[in-house]
Amino acid sequence: MLTVVLQQGINGIVFGSLYVLVALGLTLIYGVLVQINFAHADVVTIGAFAAYFFTFAFGGNYLISIGIALMVGAALGWLVNAAIFAPLRERGSELLPLIATIGVSILLQNAMLLWFGPIPYAFDSPYSNKVIRLWGGTFITLQNLIIVVVSTLTIALLYAFMKFTYMGKALRAVAQDRETAGLMGVNPNQLIMLTFVIASALAGMGGAMLGPILVLTPFAGTTVIVKAFAIVIIGGFGNVEGTIIAGLAVGLIESYTTQFINPGLTDIVVFTLLLLMLALRPTGLIAEKREENV
Amino acid sequence: MLTDRVRISRRGWFLVVAVIIALLPFVIQDSYWRTNLIVCAINIMLAIGLDFILGYAGQLNLGHSAFYGIGAYASTLLVMKLGVPFWMAFVLGMVLSGAAGMALSIFAVRLRGHYLAIASLGFAVIVHQVLLNWISLTQGPLGIYAIKPPPDIALPGLPVISFGNTANMFYLVASFAFLFYLLLDQLVRSPIGETLKAIREDEISASAFGINCTAWKVFAFGIGSAVAGAAGAFYASFVGTLVPDAFIITESFTILAMVIVGGMGTLIGPVWGAILLTILPELLRGFGDLRLVLYGAALTLVVLFMPGGIAQAAQMFRARSGRLATSTDAGMRR
Repeated sequence: MLTVVLQQGINGIVFGSLYVLVALGLTLIYGVLVQINFAHADVVTIGAFAAYFFTFAFGGNYLISIGIALMVGAALGWLVNAAIFAPLRERGSELLPLIATIGVSILLQNAMLLWFGPIPYAFDSPYSNKVIRLWGGTFITLQNLIIVVVSTLTIALLYAFMKFTYMGKALRAVAQDRETAGLMGVNPNQLIMLTFVIASALAGMGGAMLGPILVLTPFAGTTVIVKAFAIVIIGGFGNVEGTIIAGLAVGLIESYTTQFINPGLTDIVVFTLLLLMLALRPTGLIAEKREENV
Repeated sequence: MLTDRVRISRRGWFLVVAVIIALLPFVIQDSYWRTNLIVCAINIMLAIGLDFILGYAGQLNLGHSAFYGIGAYASTLLVMKLGVPFWMAFVLGMVLSGAAGMALSIFAVRLRGHYLAIASLGFAVIVHQVLLNWISLTQGPLGIYAIKPPPDIALPGLPVISFGNTANMFYLVASFAFLFYLLLDQLVRSPIGETLKAIREDEISASAFGINCTAWKVFAFGIGSAVAGAAGAFYASFVGTLVPDAFIITESFTILAMVIVGGMGTLIGPVWGAILLTILPELLRGFGDLRLVLYGAALTLVVLFMPGGIAQAAQMFRARSGRLATSTDAGMRR
């Protein structure tokens, strides 16, 4: 029994750390722009496909493919900002960019469907079969270990970047007050672009690591992104620490629901939690000073 | 004098639409295109219902597929499991959808903008998952089959009207779509419409004028989702099968696209949006899956370059061709 609990805990953390990667991107963009990016889902999917094709079509190394997916994601982030968010920024609407990114998402998903077909791809990472035995009969595959290590390192790096570098400080300044930050000599447009590039790089990377543990179809990202939205709300929109805690919590809740209740109910449990959170504590786990949006 | 002319032309339009509805099944004999006509009418109901919530009351609802699904499943299950007569089940399905919309709205009363968007999205995910997993009731992914069309109408002295016939089914669904349009049109032209617009533009100022914002938002959600419930009931009885994936969250996005492409905040815009986005993909079938790529591209381009949608384009065209553009607001601010 304890073994099962521990084992599901490990699985939950593996999924949770990937959710954190994807959700952090959403929360960063929300923090700076107060906008929702639905195309984030497709950055995840395209990241996964980029890694797949690099690994299998070109015979590349899986670890390097994570880096490739990161770069593909970064490029997509730049594109989405330049094409959608930057032109719509002056209008100051909260609805238009959201709908435009839904359009981009429909476009990208069906373009992928056209190229890659509806049949799921078998993305078998070379590390999926190597099992590392842990204490008390539990185990972790090398693939999952890579996921946890790479995610943790990335999140730590991002956190350090936000807290300790000038750029990170400028970014937080833009998130707090774009105009004042501009007056202090920070170029908000550049930093918004940087946010999109970082956020989408995280999503692409998350996709490369999700590929082997998901059903890889053109719609793979959507299932992840809907959960990422729940995580971002539960953690508090724009709140990095809250997102990390909420992401891991959702991963754990999912794997325990699968084990002890019913695999079909995971989404219901997660989204009921989301609605309860919105009703009881709409500012998220860690309260922020963004109450005016609630 | 001007208002007289407008009023006459409104009554004229009423007649024109009625004649078009009456003639369409004669012009279009092909059963495939008749099917599309019925789907079109169903989509119009969904689009104007969502527009009432989104375009008039300004509530960012991304969960319209849930109300559609609740109407479809509730009406069908009432008929099949409890033997309720179709039309009573139809009304109950509408009431249930409306109640679900009101419940979501009451629940999310403190939420605005993006938070409401995500809450309604979450609600739609939950409804879809419940339909999938409550197998003893909905048969889950296997779906419900052999759903009967609405019962025949036998009036004395007239031939029996059977709704197994696509032409009759079209008359039925299109009449209801037209009826809902007229009802919503009356609503948005009444002081209620002004109240909702006031809430859309600025909730704080609206409440300063003594408007009970919560009550009116709940009202808008109730009406909009009840119309979606009616669309669901017609969908089930027309298609004859129900699977949960017909009400997946992306269906909400499709309906949203109709409202946006048509022009939210006008009632006629979403009607054109629904017609265009139902018929156009069928015309583009030759392009195969490319049509959905074009669908996405169209949605994006409309938002970027013509955020008021078809309604705005029509107004600009009318203004340019020198005629007096009546003051419709192409609610492009939100």
